[in-house]
Amino acid sequence: MISQENGPTPIIQAQALSKWYGQVIGLNNFALRVMPGITGIVGPNGSGKSTLFKLVLGLIKPNAGSITVLGKSPWKNSDLHSSIGFCPDYESLPVDSTGREYLTLIGKLHMMHGTALSKRIQEIVKLVEMGKAVDRKTGGYSKGMKQRMKIAGALLHDPELLILDEPLSGTDPLVRKDIIDLIKRLNKEHGHDIVVSSHVLFEIERMTHNVALVYRGRAVASGDISEIRNLIDRHPHNIIIEGERTTALAKILLDQDYVVSVSFNDSKDSVTVQVSKPDDFFNGLPALIDKAQCSVSKMYSLDDNLEAVFRYLVGR
Amino acid sequence: MDLKTVLVGISALTVHSTKKLLFGKKVVITILVALFVAAVMGYAGSQSDDPLEDGTDLMDTLILFFFMPVMAMIFGSSLIRDEIDDKSITHVATAPLDRAFSYVGYYLPLGIAVALSMVAISSVGMLAFFGQHGVGSESLEIYLEFVALVVIGSFVYSSLFLAISVLFNKPILFGLFYAFIWEGFIGSLPGAIQNASVKHYLRSLGSGWVEFGDISRWDHASSAWGSAVLLLGLTVFLLVLGAYLFREKELA
Repeated sequence: MISQENGPTPIIQAQALSKWYGQVIGLNNFALRVMPGITGIVGPNGSGKSTLFKLVLGLIKPNAGSITVLGKSPWKNSDLHSSIGFCPDYESLPVDSTGREYLTLIGKLHMMHGTALSKRIQEIVKLVEMGKAVDRKTGGYSKGMKQRMKIAGALLHDPELLILDEPLSGTDPLVRKDIIDLIKRLNKEHGHDIVVSSHVLFEIERMTHNVALVYRGRAVASGDISEIRNLIDRHPHNIIIEGERTTALAKILLDQDYVVSVSFNDSKDSVTVQVSKPDDFFNGLPALIDKAQCSVSKMYSLDDNLEAVFRYLVGR
Repeated sequence: MDLKTVLVGISALTVHSTKKLLFGKKVVITILVALFVAAVMGYAGSQSDDPLEDGTDLMDTLILFFFMPVMAMIFGSSLIRDEIDDKSITHVATAPLDRAFSYVGYYLPLGIAVALSMVAISSVGMLAFFGQHGVGSESLEIYLEFVALVVIGSFVYSSLFLAISVLFNKPILFGLFYAFIWEGFIGSLPGAIQNASVKHYLRSLGSGWVEFGDISRWDHASSAWGSAVLLLGLTVFLLVLGAYLFREKELA
């Protein structure tokens, strides 16, 4: 849940947070309050999600503003790491080590040892379903196995807060489903608070209703995903229709109140329709095609990517 | 953060990184250097009429003078930078261990790995040279004295090159400059300028122990004790500097 100014203590709170790398702005006057539960951070590549996580983990320091995680400032606060588990979006497993050696190192760095550590490793690899591969070199793991092993490393010391940076990236649909189920289970059955990022809103929607949309270094919207969906639905969509007799269809479309404009593309059998109410457009289109006696071979939206949605949300 | 946390963390990192350094790709370089040293010292041994003098000079110039800083540079100058670049440093950077202590967890395995490699190279060289003349008590003494020098040198040079690996974005370039230009060239120039090299103080220390070869007659030497104190002081200073820089470093 992402709270408003009042209410229970947030697990992450950023105020006027800015971070830049030379001329490149990572985060710009960023404000966010993340409450316990699962929270999705959604934004296109390069929007500032990873910069936010690096600040949360104290790997980099803010240029301006403040950030607290579990009530503490993370920069140069290594004690805080005993309460946070981090699964990065990049390859971080030592390729020459087995999964068990990797987890043993992580465990020892978190003050675990002996039979307690061995037992915990067994529990965790079972939880992430890596029991059979734990004694294999991580260099030979598939993408999905690497993601599971990184999640295992993040979970090993039973942290209060889990930070998962793009845990679904590069995985196939079956693995995605498994990881999404695992994330939900980690919150529901094991009580971990989880902040998970993705550049695909649909994927986050399957894990949580609490999201923050990040774009060009700013939190452009946050709250319940249904509110954000409404915002997106109010976004004029550009849809390209290709087929035969599309001129007739274009004439009929111009009479509809949800159509903002119609323009012909280079190919005369292709039109671009800008609509203000995408749902009404898609619901009414079959009848209009029938009425125009045309055939549609291809139809796609130019605005299916998050980048377009975010441009709309920030009024660009 | 209590002492136990610190010690457990440092020992975990030390074991992990020592294995990585000793059994990683760099072991090939150690083997190649050992083969080269064996060939050079083996041939020199076959031509020598005064093995104690000649053998000592070769251990001094080939191993202590040349390969000691070079091997430390190869192992040390990219150790932390490589992990920053390939992001495998994440598990260290997100552990509940102050980064200053993590730095020690990199220094110890580096020193151990360089020392073991140099001891192996010295052993191969010694056997290749003295093996042809019979390994007597004097040659064994020379060997043990040089082993002590390369072990000390390993920990001093490791502190230097590890600090370089944190300080510079292209540590290999600076490491090459230091190992070849500064230690190799400046350290050989006549006059007081050569006092500004680690090698000078290692030789000064060795001149108090070794009874054969040029090193025993090292007439520019500072006192052996003075050299030992200076090398220790330099190592501690570089360790503190490197740990401070690592603690302040942003791992973007």
